Amino acid sequence: MQAERGQHHRSVEVLASKLRRRQIVGSRTAALETLVVLRQVVSRARFSNFEQLVEIIRGVGRRLVEAQPKEHSVGNTVRKVLHHIREEYQTAVGQTGPQAGTSTSGFSISKFVLQGQPRRHVPAQKTEVKTTLKEDDPEDPDSFSKGLKPVLMEAIQDVLDELETVYDNVSKNARDHIHPDEIILTLGRSKTVETFLKTAAHNRHYTVIVAETGPSYDGREMAKSLSSAGISTFLVPDSSIFSLMSRVNKVILGAHVILANGGMFAITGSLIAATAAKAHSTPVVVCAGQFKLTPLWNLYHEYGAVDFGNPSDVLGFNEGELVNKVDVVNPYYDYVAPEFIDAYITNDGDHPPSSIYRLLKETYDDEDNEL
Amino acid sequence: MPDKQETTLPTQQPGAAAPKPAGQPSQKSMTKAERRELQEKQRAAKAAAKAEAPKGGAGGSAAKTKGAQAPAKKAGEAGPAKQSVLTSKELGHAIPEEGAGKRGPRIFTHFGLPKPIGHTVKGDIHPAVVRLGLSFSEFKICGANARCIATLTAFKNVIQDYTTPPNSTLSRHLMTHLSPQITHLVAARPMSVSMGNAIRQLKLEISNSDIDLVEQEAKDVLCKKIDDYIQDRIIMADEVIQESAGRKIKEGDVILTYARSSVVEKVLLRARSEGKKFSVIVVDSRPLLEGKALLRSLTSGPDPIPCTYALLPALPSLLTEVTTVFIGAHSIYSNGAVFSRAGTALVSMMAKQRNVPVVVCCETCKFSEGILVDGFGKNELAPAHTVQPHGSTPTPTSEPGLEVLNPLYDLTPPNFITAVVTEVGLIPPSSISSIPLALGKTIL
Amino acid sequence: MFDIHQAFRRSLQNPEIAYPLAAIIALTELIENSDAGTMFELVNAIRQGAETLKSKLENPIGVDAGCELFIAFVTLFHHESLTLTDLKRELIRQGQKYAEEAMTYRKKIAELTVGFIKDGSILTHSHSRVVMQTLLLAHQHKRISVFVTEARPRGLGLKTAEALIAAGVPCTVVLDSAVAYVMDKVDFVLVGSEAVVESGGLVNAVGSNQIAIIARAAKKPFYALAESYKFHRLFPLSQYDLPSHNSKILSFSSPSRPTRSASISRPAEDTTTASDPPTASASTNDTEPTSSTSITQQQICKTNPHVDYTRPDLISLVFSDVGSLTPEGVSQYLVGMFAG
Repeated sequence: MQAERGQHHRSVEVLASKLRRRQIVGSRTAALETLVVLRQVVSRARFSNFEQLVEIIRGVGRRLVEAQPKEHSVGNTVRKVLHHIREEYQTAVGQTGPQAGTSTSGFSISKFVLQGQPRRHVPAQKTEVKTTLKEDDPEDPDSFSKGLKPVLMEAIQDVLDELETVYDNVSKNARDHIHPDEIILTLGRSKTVETFLKTAAHNRHYTVIVAETGPSYDGREMAKSLSSAGISTFLVPDSSIFSLMSRVNKVILGAHVILANGGMFAITGSLIAATAAKAHSTPVVVCAGQFKLTPLWNLYHEYGAVDFGNPSDVLGFNEGELVNKVDVVNPYYDYVAPEFIDAYITNDGDHPPSSIYRLLKETYDDEDNEL
Repeated sequence: MPDKQETTLPTQQPGAAAPKPAGQPSQKSMTKAERRELQEKQRAAKAAAKAEAPKGGAGGSAAKTKGAQAPAKKAGEAGPAKQSVLTSKELGHAIPEEGAGKRGPRIFTHFGLPKPIGHTVKGDIHPAVVRLGLSFSEFKICGANARCIATLTAFKNVIQDYTTPPNSTLSRHLMTHLSPQITHLVAARPMSVSMGNAIRQLKLEISNSDIDLVEQEAKDVLCKKIDDYIQDRIIMADEVIQESAGRKIKEGDVILTYARSSVVEKVLLRARSEGKKFSVIVVDSRPLLEGKALLRSLTSGPDPIPCTYALLPALPSLLTEVTTVFIGAHSIYSNGAVFSRAGTALVSMMAKQRNVPVVVCCETCKFSEGILVDGFGKNELAPAHTVQPHGSTPTPTSEPGLEVLNPLYDLTPPNFITAVVTEVGLIPPSSISSIPLALGKTIL
Repeated sequence: MFDIHQAFRRSLQNPEIAYPLAAIIALTELIENSDAGTMFELVNAIRQGAETLKSKLENPIGVDAGCELFIAFVTLFHHESLTLTDLKRELIRQGQKYAEEAMTYRKKIAELTVGFIKDGSILTHSHSRVVMQTLLLAHQHKRISVFVTEARPRGLGLKTAEALIAAGVPCTVVLDSAVAYVMDKVDFVLVGSEAVVESGGLVNAVGSNQIAIIARAAKKPFYALAESYKFHRLFPLSQYDLPSHNSKILSFSSPSRPTRSASISRPAEDTTTASDPPTASASTNDTEPTSSTSITQQQICKTNPHVDYTRPDLISLVFSDVGSLTPEGVSQYLVGMFAG
């Protein structure tokens, strides 16, 4: 057991340090790396009951989240894996064991409030479950993990497959969202939005206005990439977002994190664009993979701008002494409240911001919100 | 989802929304020394040009009308027709007239072509005006006030060098002499509202000049009137605005401003010199990044103002601590809409959204009696050479399929504005239209 | 004979017990004392008890929420394998267990809410136990200051202020009429609740609605705290659709000076004027203008509501022991419990 721990430790530690040093950036990359590590961890893990397994995975999750708390897709991936393996576990023991949970002992008023009417079989306490997959078998402590591992690997693979196809799946209905001759405004460079727009261009002629999105000016790359895909593209400074908005049919944004209340964190500039869109009653659509859904409500840093970039990107040292006299603010993300967003387009369907919390409940287990 | 713009796309006439002559709200106003230097040069130049006889300009009438012709069209006429005499360098690139790609939308075509820097000198143009035209097109003189003052100063030279031809009177003929000069300036860069107002006032003065005066006296009277206009409508007006806007800055306030307005700059410096302790957040954006110049001005000097600098996208995270937003204007329309540096509308919108008061500092000489409802039409594109590079990636240029647009202005709707500080007091944007009447003037 | 109302009052003696919870406890006691022979009779007895309880109260909303929850639970309880005696015992056990668990909910909510509180100012309304607990907990971690409304007619805001000041939290009482004045100074509004209803809206001490409206106008978040036993299957369409509304509220007192057109006979319900014949000449009253001009606080109280309804779109979030919820999320729980 100890030796095994040490091994997990290594791959986990490698990823953790990469995350900490920002050698891995981008939520999807981080999610993919996390999955790869989890697969290794699970394949080598030794556990004799389900709780142990869950604890091992959570431990890895905690470690990685701690390394880079701003990269929420890491925690989300761990939660998703936990949710999947729990499901697999339930089916595995459900098929082999007797129906559990019919007894009233598990039913109480507070549970009733929490889960509603017991019209659906409520997963019972794991300890009550009798299975042929024998947990805590004193004879062969590994029998449980041996029996369960194939389904676990499958569960992880499912998550991996989903992630690998996420852009295409977000974009699969792109042409239903972009109509002929529309003018779309977007910001920065989101891979999801980029794929979405390019996919739509297969069927539609339309125009994209890309705001440069300082100080990263990612919009410039985005504009080049879109125009090279044959989309008629305009590149404008952030300052003209308002004046051009009167001609824009739709604002399409990417997200960094989608929160449980239906709001999101996205590249700075998103909020002014979304507010300008609202002022013009222009719909704001957010394209994002489901792995960006984060079971967080905390709006604590709503205005405090989550994360700050390098001030010299805004006011370079070539400005001379000015740099020393002036405070420079360069936040990475904006918090965009749900009232500014009309729809989320995900690989798991299209949703209004108000149903994000429900989506979260379906995607993750409440008990994993805190890893 | 509502496709509210759908119908406008095909029907939008590229020429319908011709950019109105437009100027700069405030930026890069010249220092006094610079201005003096320019005047010296102009004086020298005028000596050389003195010999030339005045000739009437045919195209003058175009500039008189408020909604002057589309500069695109004008450039189209002037550019190919005659070889540009003074062209010293070519623009980096030209924005294609048609939307690039197979089916680019035609709605952006009205932004028009950027003008060559040294445009054609057509007819008898005074050297001071030729020089000024260059300064305009190169954005060396920029900002509604600066351009207005420079224009009037140049016209003083023109007037002084003018001789009434035989069989004509000054009050009748001088305007025909000035018209091509105006046309020349407009060709260099669309006229600002402040210039338009000043020129209209000048015309009025010319036509009212006493025919009994000897020519030199009449010219001196006109020059005096011009000086008075500059003094009363701009310099004194700014003084009054500085004072009344300054009263709205309180100890410990956090003032946010966007880009650089000469009036706002003066307001802030004056409040500081009065010993008020406050801090300033300067928000800035491409294409011009004028806020850096404001930062320099606010932080230099013996008593620097504590400043924070950020780009426009970072605005929301800064607004929570802001007490008041001060912005300048290129012009104000009678519906209370403020035409100003691109980005101002975003700043005002966000401030309004967070219940932060938005105060516009604007002299009445920038008022326009027209109505504007959309910052899209009467806009101007920043010429490539004025666009400030920023960021690690190279400044983008247009290429097939990708157009780079740098609109200079936007229109802030009146509902985003709390108050307009003018030399006649603080007024709500809804009362802009009553100001000319209150001043007892038919024209501003 | 078991008196449910007495049992209810007895539970309320514990200052930590809210109306819905007291109702659940009273109904549990009712089962204990019930001699019902069948499940059907038992459910009927519980229903009857709930009705009796509600009829004794001017504002039945809270009690109704508790009763409804308990009744729904009882009817859905799997009882096929149990004898009635066992079932009763089990239900009693469940009721007691829930009452016990429910006592921890405020702590849970406070812990959840503190995550949303940053250094700054909070506006709260009247007095709420869960809000108090939250503020006191927040005070341990953050530098907060509190504005509390006076909350007429009962003036419970003073109670809040006193308790907060005693705990060392900077606190100022503001008039109910000064809410708009103070709003720009606060970071958000935090209120308790009488009930959270099906629409996702909120029923709470009167004044909450106007605070929510002002908060919206000032673009400040409006947070409501609600223990899950306050989730109530009710869908008020307006203020006057609340069960607490009655004809006395907002009624006009019979005029002391009948107008000339007052030819319609009025219901003589107001004793002060009932003694005057409706035909009392206008001239008599004209000469005695001072007769009934003084309006007592009591009179105002009588014609004013104690609770009002806040629309869901004005509420930013509801913090509850089942988690933080959007107003839409509240109805999800209600549907889960009561629909189908």
